[in-house]
Amino acid sequence: MNLVQLFLAVVMFGSLFSVLTLSLNLQYARGGMINFGTVAYFAAGAYAYAIVTQEPPSGLDQYLVGLHGPWWAGFLAAGVASMAFAVLTGWPTLRLRGEYLALTTFAFAEMLHSLLVNERRIGNGTVGLANVERPDPGSLGLPDAWAYAGAAFLLMLATALVFRRLLASPYGRAIDAVRDDETAAEAIGKDIARLRFEVFVISAVPIGFAGALYAMITTLVSPDLFTAEVTFFVWIALVLGGERTILGAVLGTMALVGFQELVRAFPFESVRAAEIAAAGEDIVTGILFILILRWQPFEAMVKRRAAA
Amino acid sequence: MTRDLLVVDRVIKRFGGLKAVGGDDGLSFTVPEGTFLGLIGPNGAGKSTTFNLISGVLKPDEGKVLLDGVDLAKARASEIAALGLGRTFQTPRAFPSLSVLDNVIVGADSAGERVGMAFSGRWRDSEGALRDKAAAVLARVGLSERINDHVGSLSGGELRMLEVARQLVRDPKILLLDEPTAGVDPSLQSKLSNILVDLHAEGRTLIVVEHNLHFLLRIADRVVVLQNGQLLSQGTPAEIKADEKVITAYLGADHAA
Ligand SMILES: Nc1ncnc2c1ncn2[C@@H]1O[C@H](COP(=O)(O)OP(=O)(O)O)[C@@H](O)[C@H]1O
Ligand SMILES: [Mg+2]
Repeated sequence: MNLVQLFLAVVMFGSLFSVLTLSLNLQYARGGMINFGTVAYFAAGAYAYAIVTQEPPSGLDQYLVGLHGPWWAGFLAAGVASMAFAVLTGWPTLRLRGEYLALTTFAFAEMLHSLLVNERRIGNGTVGLANVERPDPGSLGLPDAWAYAGAAFLLMLATALVFRRLLASPYGRAIDAVRDDETAAEAIGKDIARLRFEVFVISAVPIGFAGALYAMITTLVSPDLFTAEVTFFVWIALVLGGERTILGAVLGTMALVGFQELVRAFPFESVRAAEIAAAGEDIVTGILFILILRWQPFEAMVKRRAAA
Repeated sequence: MTRDLLVVDRVIKRFGGLKAVGGDDGLSFTVPEGTFLGLIGPNGAGKSTTFNLISGVLKPDEGKVLLDGVDLAKARASEIAALGLGRTFQTPRAFPSLSVLDNVIVGADSAGERVGMAFSGRWRDSEGALRDKAAAVLARVGLSERINDHVGSLSGGELRMLEVARQLVRDPKILLLDEPTAGVDPSLQSKLSNILVDLHAEGRTLIVVEHNLHFLLRIADRVVVLQNGQLLSQGTPAEIKADEKVITAYLGADHAA
């Protein structure tokens, strides 16, 4: 792997997961809601994209539906699916607070995961869907990696801009008030149930889009791509970047993805060495996590910039 | 005769079997529109609980509360606020991540709090007017110089005034203030007293809980006295000052001193 490939991988996956971090940032830092089921909305988007774009089943395929639609229909369906899943899971749970909400969202995500594993008619069970269609960037004269890195970057940018527009408005002021003090917010007529629900659902939409893009990039969706590890990864990235700012969330994600890609890019002589490196990666991630929690360098950097 | 803006009808509230409000028959009183009602009583008499029952923070176990003829039994606190009820809390509440000015603006019902409006950017049309209104209210409560400050830097008394400002910007039909002078320095206290007199003169309905009796008896036009969650007495300040029951139960210590 050369430097250009490394750069493209960091931009591609860094941007893609930044979309998730940005959404979590909106839900948690601004909305005060702990969603520990992030991966489920991501999976909903990826599976919706695959189902809408793949060919109808044939041969050994066990899935029921393949619409063979155009990529943009799959992309839109991904946003809708993620949003629908947010409506479904948000409605009964958003009365809960703090760790109770974290536990229920986690449980919902585990339920979806086991549904995808066990219900072959949706996504072919553990085998997953491998007939994912994707647009050919060749027609634009772009190599695939550049095109998808660019698309991920644009999606991240669009997400950040849309969220910023929302948060810079009186809407952002109202959700800050609700997070700061629900009783006081109710005393000035804020419908806290409506505001929390809207924030939860709105922030799920870009996660669904990211899921679609992820499906295009991997051209495969299967349950083991969508485990709780994804959720933890995004939470670590959010904590790394400091939860208060959009730029911090992006920097934290880029740093974490960059570190992982670096470890992966290192040429190992034997399988054993690669195994040791993989274990080392986990340990170093853990240590980094602790160091960054202690000093919050990205948050400090963003604050210095804001002060300047 | 003016209509009753607020009716508290045989309300009972228990905390773990103990009746905090209501006694045997329940607590009843009415507040005609335009009244400045003083609500007094010793610590633990149930004054703050009564405010919580009216504003929907708590629901009565028995009895009912009517605001402008509307039964509040099923209304959430935010809905009651939207019906035109404003209140402050005995322990002042603020939104620490918002500036002093935003702490007041957020009290106004902004169209920009709808997702569509927020995205379209059309909220900007009304934002200027909201700012001016909030700044005027902050000037009224003496916080003009603190407009851009962080709420964390406000004193306890200033936080109380901020909370009053946040409610005033909403133009509530009825305003409930829980011990507004507690911890407020004397110069701000007389300012507050002037504001309350002005609000009353504007025809607003007020209920004010106060520990500082002399403050209240001077400016209220009706007084309700609570003891152990029950109505001990009610009347004009002059009647209350002359009421034997009140003197022994509440004013006694003051008079002896
Ligand atoms: N949330 C609560 N839980 C249990 N007891 C309460 C609660 N709030 C108030 N009380 C009790 O109800 C009684 C009335 O309290 P409160 O309304 O705060 O009195 P006041 O405001 O007149 O000083 C007190 O005995 C108090 O301890
Ligand atoms: Mg009290």
